[in-house]
Amino acid sequence: MSDLSAPGFPEEEVRRRARAGAAAAFPPAEEYGHVLFGAGGPDTADRFVRPDALDALRIVPPLFLPQRLAKLIDLGREPDYRDVELTTTIGGFTSALPVYVSATGSTRAAGGDLGLALSRQAGALGIPMVIGENVVPVNGYGRLGEAADRTLLGRLRAYGEELPDGLGGVAVQQSTEDADAEVWNLVHSDPAALPLLESGRLAFELKVGQGAKPGLGGMTVLEAEAAAALGDRFGLDPLFGDGRVLRAATPGTFTAEILRQQIRLMRNNYPRVRIWVKLYPGRDVAEAARVAHEAGADAVVVDGAEGGTGWAPGVFLPHVGLPLAECLRRLAADPPPSLLVSGRIWEGARAVKSLALGARAVGLGRAALLAVAEDRESGLRRFAECLALELRLLISALGKYAPDALDRADVWSSEEF
Amino acid sequence: MPDATPLPPTDPGRHLTAPATRSALRVQQQLLTAAREFLCGRGFTELLPPIIGPVTDPGARGSKQVDIDFYGHRYKLMTSAILYKQASLLAFDKIFCIAPNVRLEPLETAGTNRHLAEFHQLDVEVAGASRDEVVQLAEELVVHMVDSAVRELPKEFAELGRDPQAFAELLKGSFGRIRHAEAVTELQGIGHPQSADAELDWEGEALLSARRDRPFFVTDYPKGSRGFYDREHPDDPGLLRNFDLLAPEGYGELCSGSQRTNDYAEIVTRMRETGENPQKYRWYLDLVREGVPASAGFGIGVERLTRYVSGLDAVWQASAFPKLAGVVSP
Repeated sequence: MSDLSAPGFPEEEVRRRARAGAAAAFPPAEEYGHVLFGAGGPDTADRFVRPDALDALRIVPPLFLPQRLAKLIDLGREPDYRDVELTTTIGGFTSALPVYVSATGSTRAAGGDLGLALSRQAGALGIPMVIGENVVPVNGYGRLGEAADRTLLGRLRAYGEELPDGLGGVAVQQSTEDADAEVWNLVHSDPAALPLLESGRLAFELKVGQGAKPGLGGMTVLEAEAAAALGDRFGLDPLFGDGRVLRAATPGTFTAEILRQQIRLMRNNYPRVRIWVKLYPGRDVAEAARVAHEAGADAVVVDGAEGGTGWAPGVFLPHVGLPLAECLRRLAADPPPSLLVSGRIWEGARAVKSLALGARAVGLGRAALLAVAEDRESGLRRFAECLALELRLLISALGKYAPDALDRADVWSSEEF
Repeated sequence: MPDATPLPPTDPGRHLTAPATRSALRVQQQLLTAAREFLCGRGFTELLPPIIGPVTDPGARGSKQVDIDFYGHRYKLMTSAILYKQASLLAFDKIFCIAPNVRLEPLETAGTNRHLAEFHQLDVEVAGASRDEVVQLAEELVVHMVDSAVRELPKEFAELGRDPQAFAELLKGSFGRIRHAEAVTELQGIGHPQSADAELDWEGEALLSARRDRPFFVTDYPKGSRGFYDREHPDDPGLLRNFDLLAPEGYGELCSGSQRTNDYAEIVTRMRETGENPQKYRWYLDLVREGVPASAGFGIGVERLTRYVSGLDAVWQASAFPKLAGVVSP
């Protein structure tokens, strides 16, 4: 190493690449499974708090409140925030809150008892939960004696055991590699899924992509031994040079016709299952949402380029994909009726702004995992209590008493939005 | 057709020795003998189909394939012989086989009277044929099979309580033909909420079937309801050059078929449209890339045809060792 220096240039990053080669395209592998990441960038200390265009919007209550008058007449007394009814229809399910738990797949952060605790608490709350891709090919299904805490069946059972009647539902993702394991067919024909299927609380989510790395497939870091067990089912890249390998799923190839026909085939093959479609924040997100809705999707999920629970190359987070606010702006002209959005959602204001801009519900990804990591028994329940209170306070301040009463007029921007 | 749902056999010995089982299996044997006679007489070659392979037909709606460990490689039991039928045309222009299929159907199918997890198909494939030519072939084949059973086995029909007069219209040929879109209109007209871009649902098939006195073809299903191998109409995109044959009297689907796609790029694109991963179809795609003949063909559900001809309440009664979804049995 010489004493050459380059003030004002990202010298340390260049030197890190010179030392580590291709591995430097990713955050340090030691962080995998422990550090959830966000669009603030792996090199910023404030990755969870950097404001974006959605944060910059303000929620603007009016002075004259005809909907509050209607509620006053209905109740025969002055309504308050406790009169806000948060029960919402989400992609064919009934949810206690306009909130669902976003997909966490085979990634280590959601593995083990954390994934199970998350499932139990989401079930107890009566909010929908998405089970992410690659769980079956990586961790198994759970019918043939695999460790139950990591399998899809384990999560399904944990969720179902706590679920109140009439609320919630599970959406199961299937990626290209999952298609080989026939995840949907497996769930569709399994006795454990039957109660959810028969009560209309089972959905399959077609994953077109994700916000953390638009245009790429799912990525995780595996120890050599675990990687070997996956055989030739996934692309494995030994770029870390220390035995650990990058497991990269393919993103899959879509055109409007491929998306349309895949949705139709899902409806054809699983007539009693709800169909969800998850889109990454691509520049044609509005067109893709329209295609998905017209083909019969019960929910269109848009994941803003804000962060994730798995693994992503450092260059993607700050540079690739539309932020959630811009997705909402592009979808505003013709939003699908059951638009679900995710992207750094953790408190009431960001949720209310998303709902006002056309979303039906918001997804919790990192926030849900952190809440469960804080307390395996009740972390997510307490977190949701706080979120629900904020939602009630904000929505009632707008003179409204249900999430679907929110609209564009409820937010203001200093710039043309 | 009686509406009662008979329970599956709990005692295999009793099922095998029941007079109705014996009669149904004799009818089945006669149907197959007649099929061989008919097809061999027309220059078809009978092949013995594979039972396992690295990949199988993904086009079975909502049912799961069975994985097996083939020396450390994941293989499948055949859900249908479709890929091998197309490939076999490299050897012979006209082939048929009686192929065992295994499909882990959804649990709800255990009560439909028309699904078995293990069943057989009489598979037929013809190089260079059009959809309409194989529709005609299927009609003539079924007429021949039923005619032979009715003529040869009057005692069995008496034992089964099946009046051969039920086939008076069938034996005249001229099965009806109705396009999928017309079937949807007919079903919606009688208050059944049939989706226009999906396969006819089981109830819808039964309703159409109950309104007819002879088998009929439903043609031109929409894309998104079938596997990647059904050819799309060149002049009518979104529709497939395919067909189902449905029995009358509420017995429902007996046979599915189509003109096949044999263009490599089209097959890869259609695989994506059906959510399939082309990588696992390597042997098939390599063959298609080299060139396989254009063709059309169909598969007749052997137990379903036996059930219809024998007038049985449930399709499992047409199998010596029936397997129903979720039911543990020999």
